[in-house]
Amino acid sequence: MRLGYDEKTEAFRDQFVAWLEANLPDPLLTAERPTSSAGVPEWARQFQRQMFDDGWLSPAYPSKLGGRSADLFEQMVYLEELGRRHVTRSFNPQGLGIVSASIVSFGNDEQIERWAVPIMRAEKTAALGMSEPGAGSDLAALATRAVLDGDHFVVNGQKVWTSGAHDADVLLVFVRTDPEAPKHKGISALIVETDTPGLDRRPFPDLGGPDHVDFNEVFFDDVLVPSTNLVGDLNDGWRICNGALAHERAMLWVMWSQSLDNMLDDALAELNGTSHADDDVVLDRLGRSIMDSHAIRLLGHRQLAKQQRGLVPAEQSILKLMGSEAQQDLAALILETLGAAALDQAVDSTLRFPYENDRGAVSWSDRYLFTFAGTISGGTSEIQRNIVAERVLGLPRG
Amino acid sequence: MDFELTDDQLELQRIARDVLDREAPASLARDIAEGSGSADELWATLTSLDWPALCLPEPVGGLGHGWVELAVLLEEMGRHVAPGPFAATVAQFVPAVRHAGTLDQQERFLAPVAAAGATGALAVDEGAGTWDLAQIRASATRDGDSFVLSGIKCFVVDGASAEEIAVVVRVDGGLRVVVVPGEAVAARELNPIDATTRHATIDLEGVRVGHDRLLVGSDSDDVVVRAVQEATVGVAASTLGACQRILDLNLDHARERQQFGVPIGSFQAVKHKLVDMYCLVERTRALVYFAALAFDSDDDRRAIATSMAKAGAGECQQRCVQDGLQLFGGIGYTWEHELQLFLRRAKVGELHFGSSSSHRRRIARCAMSAP
Repeated sequence: MRLGYDEKTEAFRDQFVAWLEANLPDPLLTAERPTSSAGVPEWARQFQRQMFDDGWLSPAYPSKLGGRSADLFEQMVYLEELGRRHVTRSFNPQGLGIVSASIVSFGNDEQIERWAVPIMRAEKTAALGMSEPGAGSDLAALATRAVLDGDHFVVNGQKVWTSGAHDADVLLVFVRTDPEAPKHKGISALIVETDTPGLDRRPFPDLGGPDHVDFNEVFFDDVLVPSTNLVGDLNDGWRICNGALAHERAMLWVMWSQSLDNMLDDALAELNGTSHADDDVVLDRLGRSIMDSHAIRLLGHRQLAKQQRGLVPAEQSILKLMGSEAQQDLAALILETLGAAALDQAVDSTLRFPYENDRGAVSWSDRYLFTFAGTISGGTSEIQRNIVAERVLGLPRG
Repeated sequence: MDFELTDDQLELQRIARDVLDREAPASLARDIAEGSGSADELWATLTSLDWPALCLPEPVGGLGHGWVELAVLLEEMGRHVAPGPFAATVAQFVPAVRHAGTLDQQERFLAPVAAAGATGALAVDEGAGTWDLAQIRASATRDGDSFVLSGIKCFVVDGASAEEIAVVVRVDGGLRVVVVPGEAVAARELNPIDATTRHATIDLEGVRVGHDRLLVGSDSDDVVVRAVQEATVGVAASTLGACQRILDLNLDHARERQQFGVPIGSFQAVKHKLVDMYCLVERTRALVYFAALAFDSDDDRRAIATSMAKAGAGECQQRCVQDGLQLFGGIGYTWEHELQLFLRRAKVGELHFGSSSSHRRRIARCAMSAP
């Protein structure tokens, strides 16, 4: 147990810092914001491509896949340096973190060449088709049907909550290929180009406002998908689905940790110098949020240390739950503390703007509402509790 | 950062658990609570196994281990609701002498701890229950070759039984530590809810000690602050252990107890409470070991780390005591079931060395004043 890193890891950090200092885009050229989680401005595409080509996009990967075979501690200091500078390495997070990662893990060389590498190099963007109107928390109940007909699948059905689909070039879609099999055993994963005839994307705004458009309904009406677009084996999609959710899960906690830290910085800046900073009730609750931010980072580090020792850590199951709820608690605290002023008081995050995946300044009220994206998406907090109870604590299924 | 116990530390944890499983069953705590037991034999055993010496510096005969190792032992003590002078001696008295004493004074007062399990205590609070050093009024006044003390000290863990008591006093306005023989003060033992954590009010009025009992290794208040920080984290580590046991007992109960034809652990209302307890236990463990590492590394985040460990343990016990008792139902509401022993130990951890709320406010003030 120790607080610092070893020399090898620090040397890796120095190398990355030198690269960042030489390659971060000029802030004056980064004003254009993303339109959605797959609508990436040109400057950000160029920067992502530069990271890939120089082996800094996904450090754990080998060099031909945009990495340098970094170990876990090296990946950690890499993410620390990005976080410190508020740099988002990809404005298409599902594309990089889930779709391309799933193709790399489960696809063949041709699929990697044709889709994964272009997604990583930001030549294409990707979205993830999982949830359906009847399959949310019970994802394995998904009903979008794909029937193999010669060298094509014929796809019919509907996805929903498909973030960024209207701006994406490709979708990774989970479909039912064997309706007779038990529900986990009849699912397959297909790559579907979004310009395929019969595919209809209907974006709709989220809680953020009428122009806050990221979600899509995606309708499939006799969409023909080449059978070569099947990722992994037929009817082995549930494994990929779990793998997709597990992708980068090893490091996903860093996102929870850093976004909580950012919110905390904003909260402290908001309260400092006001009468709230002397209010014992506010200080009491703020203290709890500060503890959350430290504890989440520390638990993440413990997970990392266990993985580095070859163990399977339980921490990853609780970090999403704790991280998303901690953000909600903190946002609620600031909202209640500021009172009526929170209704239209924008968070000044301009300092972080140049390289961050941010749509712009929002009020603390909006910020509070946005925290529900964390406690609902990717498995609700209630589902997370069930998972922890059954898989970590060994309690019987209900 | 490598935030997991090393193989040696894990081995220490395993050995400590084995020793306490054998030597400190919950029945020992129950016997003490019922007035028929004594912790003396356990302390003799632990002393023969070098527990008091383990985390003392080598020059006084210790084995030189650090705070992480001490946290491992304290957590196990809490997990076993183990009675006796270990915590007050090693996590309260020792830090005061180590940080405030000269090398000679450390030798004088700590060598007997390392060699023979001499016992100690630390007296800080004066009745407010805050352990806030700004409120210290007790004093030591020079009179010829000795110091004359005045004031009272409250909630002194082992204050009626320790051989030596490190007492925080003011000398010419500054914070200092005077080591007072336990037999020199009038101690009134209280009747705390946890019989394995005894504390006392001690009366210092007119007590006279030799001038060489004033610790003079430093003339800075910081050494006293540091000693109280370490004692505070010691309480947090022990509380963490008690909470872990409450969770473990509850998990066993939820898997085994059947109602409506199924284990009650299959109900979501039960599951979710247990998961929340688990999350708080893990959160507290992270914060406690962070503080231990901060001591071992002389990291300047010691103050905030201390308050986070203590407030973390406090929040954890609140959840574990409340839901842990509730989920057990009627059987938990009996004297006979061992659950109550751990509930009591956990509750003490909230009230000694500052409440969660007071520590959370310190954390927030710390963060507000940081650049």
